[in-house]
Amino acid sequence: MAATQNLSDSDQSSVSDQSVSSRSGNRSIRVAEKERRKNEAEDPFVLSLKYFSDVEAGTPFHGNDKLEKNLVQVEKVAYSQGLPPEAVSIMLEFAMSLRMGTSACVRVLKCLIPASVVPQEAVVRAVVWLSIGKMPISTQVLFIKWVLTVFDMIDAKDQLRAIYGFIFNFVTDENLCPFICHLLYLLTRKESVRVFRVRKLLELQSKLGRQPFLLHLLSLYKVFCPELVTLSIPSRMKSGFKNHISPWKSALIAVQKRNGLQGAFSNSLVFTHKDKTNPRKRKHCHLEFPDLIPALNKEARSEQSSSRRVVPLVQLHSFAQLLENMHRIELPAQMGSLLGSSLALQYLDCVQDESALLRLNFWLGYAFHEEFLFCGDGGPSQTSEEALQFLNKLLSAQHFLQEGFSSSEVFLYKFLNVWDGSLLRPQILGLLSNIPVVPSSQIRRLLFEPLMQLFFTSSLFFKCGLMECLNNMLLKWLTWHSIYALEDDLDISLNSHTSINMTLSGFKDSVMELIHFVGRLASVGLQLEGCHCLLLSFVLDFYETVCDTFLKYGLPLIVMPPAGVFYPALFATDPVSVDRLAYIMHRYKVNLTSAKSQEKVTEQVFHISRQTFREFNHYVVVMVNCLWNSRMFHPGMGVQLGEELLLKSNVSQYGSSFDLVHHPAFMSYAVNFHQKCWPGKKDMDLNSIKHSKPWSWYLEYLFTQGYDGLKHFVQSNISWQLKEDDGQGDAQQR
Amino acid sequence: MSLLKPFSKLPGLNTANILLVESEEQFQQSLADALVEETSVTVNVRLAKSLPLPMENDESRPRIDLVVFIINLTSELSFQSAEASLKYLDPGYFLGKVCFMVTNARNASSPAERLDAVRKLASSLHCPLLFAEDQTPDGVASATERLLTILKVAAGLVPIATALYVSNLTRCTLPLDIDLPSFD
Repeated sequence: MAATQNLSDSDQSSVSDQSVSSRSGNRSIRVAEKERRKNEAEDPFVLSLKYFSDVEAGTPFHGNDKLEKNLVQVEKVAYSQGLPPEAVSIMLEFAMSLRMGTSACVRVLKCLIPASVVPQEAVVRAVVWLSIGKMPISTQVLFIKWVLTVFDMIDAKDQLRAIYGFIFNFVTDENLCPFICHLLYLLTRKESVRVFRVRKLLELQSKLGRQPFLLHLLSLYKVFCPELVTLSIPSRMKSGFKNHISPWKSALIAVQKRNGLQGAFSNSLVFTHKDKTNPRKRKHCHLEFPDLIPALNKEARSEQSSSRRVVPLVQLHSFAQLLENMHRIELPAQMGSLLGSSLALQYLDCVQDESALLRLNFWLGYAFHEEFLFCGDGGPSQTSEEALQFLNKLLSAQHFLQEGFSSSEVFLYKFLNVWDGSLLRPQILGLLSNIPVVPSSQIRRLLFEPLMQLFFTSSLFFKCGLMECLNNMLLKWLTWHSIYALEDDLDISLNSHTSINMTLSGFKDSVMELIHFVGRLASVGLQLEGCHCLLLSFVLDFYETVCDTFLKYGLPLIVMPPAGVFYPALFATDPVSVDRLAYIMHRYKVNLTSAKSQEKVTEQVFHISRQTFREFNHYVVVMVNCLWNSRMFHPGMGVQLGEELLLKSNVSQYGSSFDLVHHPAFMSYAVNFHQKCWPGKKDMDLNSIKHSKPWSWYLEYLFTQGYDGLKHFVQSNISWQLKEDDGQGDAQQR
Repeated sequence: MSLLKPFSKLPGLNTANILLVESEEQFQQSLADALVEETSVTVNVRLAKSLPLPMENDESRPRIDLVVFIINLTSELSFQSAEASLKYLDPGYFLGKVCFMVTNARNASSPAERLDAVRKLASSLHCPLLFAEDQTPDGVASATERLLTILKVAAGLVPIATALYVSNLTRCTLPLDIDLPSFD
């Protein structure tokens, strides 16, 4: 065991030695190497490898004990630690040459689990073997699947790109086509897009129908060379390449986990001073963002003429450098790495090149699908920590770019339908609040139905979380609108990168749908939770956004809260809720009056319906009558009770039971005020506050307690003169 | 063979009774352990492999306020057993006192068709369909919380709300083809 461990460790370092010269001066490795050489002779694994590299073609497979013994040895190492690069080369060569027939080949392919990297040369040679054509088609598919699985671990891609045309030839095979398309998608660069290839793909498409894998490859071609691909590609496609649940996935993850831990340990001992500088020492944990790795290797880059020199992102270290090289940036081999680097995000933000986003979205969509919707046997428990970091990083990238990625949007629509409401809740809700405006025709199906089912079956805290999320979503939509709205034709293009264009009325419809939806959730939610003040607070947050849509965000749309929100807030037992409601009503009034005056000045027809004004007036009358005039149950008010019923309740002066003095939220202030005002008085008569002078003092007192909402409300809605005897005014009615 | 009826017995004071039906008997035990921890009301949990329930305990069995069918999506048997059990419930239960809880929905080995079938079943019966992560303690806790939310309403412990009212809001809707949202 120890010997094989040594072997794989030092092999890893010897591979990196070839490319990174700085590593050679490492003493402890040399010592380990010597040790290894000594042990090598006896190591059964090395002997087995030797067997496989030397075995003659035509040796029988069945009943061959020697082969069986050696194969078991290799499999044991493969499943426990993964195979070192040179072992991968040997075994791949053995398998693909079909020296011992197909069944040996399949068995070897299945245990080809690389420990660190896969040498590119081995893959290229294997592709050459593939084209000899002796191999049965299912084995060919298995091989391509293997390449796709380990694609990120292949140490360089330049030679593979060099045989792009070679690989392209395999698309004509119907069985191989989906997998080859996927591989080509990963390898394609601008130079690879040629007229004859496009023609071939279109020809295939007419033969096979509009297959998603063909469409995906074509869409990438179109991004690189729009003049060559005239085909119209749907803006949102079915998640393209099928998920290859391959036999290697779980074994690979297990091996990487194990090696990752060991690697971390040995790093701390040996490579302490340079572990960041070596780009090859990446971990292949499946959800980790890969480091930025240039898609070309060094030699290839120096060969290129200086005029077409490209600069890999990894070589840039400052914003100034980025600006200088903006036109010749080379994207990394793995697009996911962009999310981890702030420079790369800057680049994404300002560059118009769509291929970067297309590839990034593809990478993300694939990762989402693999890790969250289609988990392997390892289950959710093992990945939760990684998943958490992955989503957090993604969130901060989205925050930086100030927009969501379309792949995360599509993922969310699927995920909401199988979500238990608690798994990674903060992150999922964070992603959800980033989604771009959803057309009103779709919004119900995609968002509201799954959310409603989750909302009403989940706990209070989920309800609060969702309220906050929907508030953020609305805020973002409104902000997009205020930035992207074009003034002349009222047409807005949302989300600079995806080409969704929306008319203003379409946008308004979506926003209105959202507000009404939250209104429904809030009314019933408050009822079910017994008007819990925490939930109420989140609901009022939402309406603080809603009441200012016109003035703050320039959207000519004003929606009043439903009664199910208004009354619980008005009769809340905590003064803060009442105060915030007063503030919201005040802002509604400011928005409505300015909308009305603007309508008069500009003669522009944006219509705020009479119904909205009516609702607003009704609410204001109710509030003033209730808090100020002590006319609580008057006919025509929202809350009506029969006279005899009220008398039966034995509450004297029921009309005044919710005025600013007797309102349960403010009663304690009234009592406090009474004690301060008449310190000597034994019997407390709260009604005495209602006289003109003390009333104004009492209001003054409330305002100094920080109830600015009430203050605004009183000032804007109640014309009130101190001189009047009763000290009480009336609602200003429109 | 007898129908389980929702209103044939009197309710207990401040008590809610829940019946967990799962053919594999894996998840129900951990759920039950978590459910009885609830302190604000007395929660009685009854476990069953399938319906109908045996006759002998019929007398001592309390009124069942909520029936939960737990379906493991990786097993066809689990789904079939739940489907077969449904006919031993009084139609009155389907007015908000039945819900389905699905595990392993995100697992690679559970076919999409089965999820569609469960969805179709739940939506045709107007029942809520909950998803649960049964492998993690957090998942179990959250599943418990959600069942309690529904149970309290079904047992009549939430003022103004009835099971029928809430189930109208939470019932499963038909599956949709999200893969191809025709946005343009």
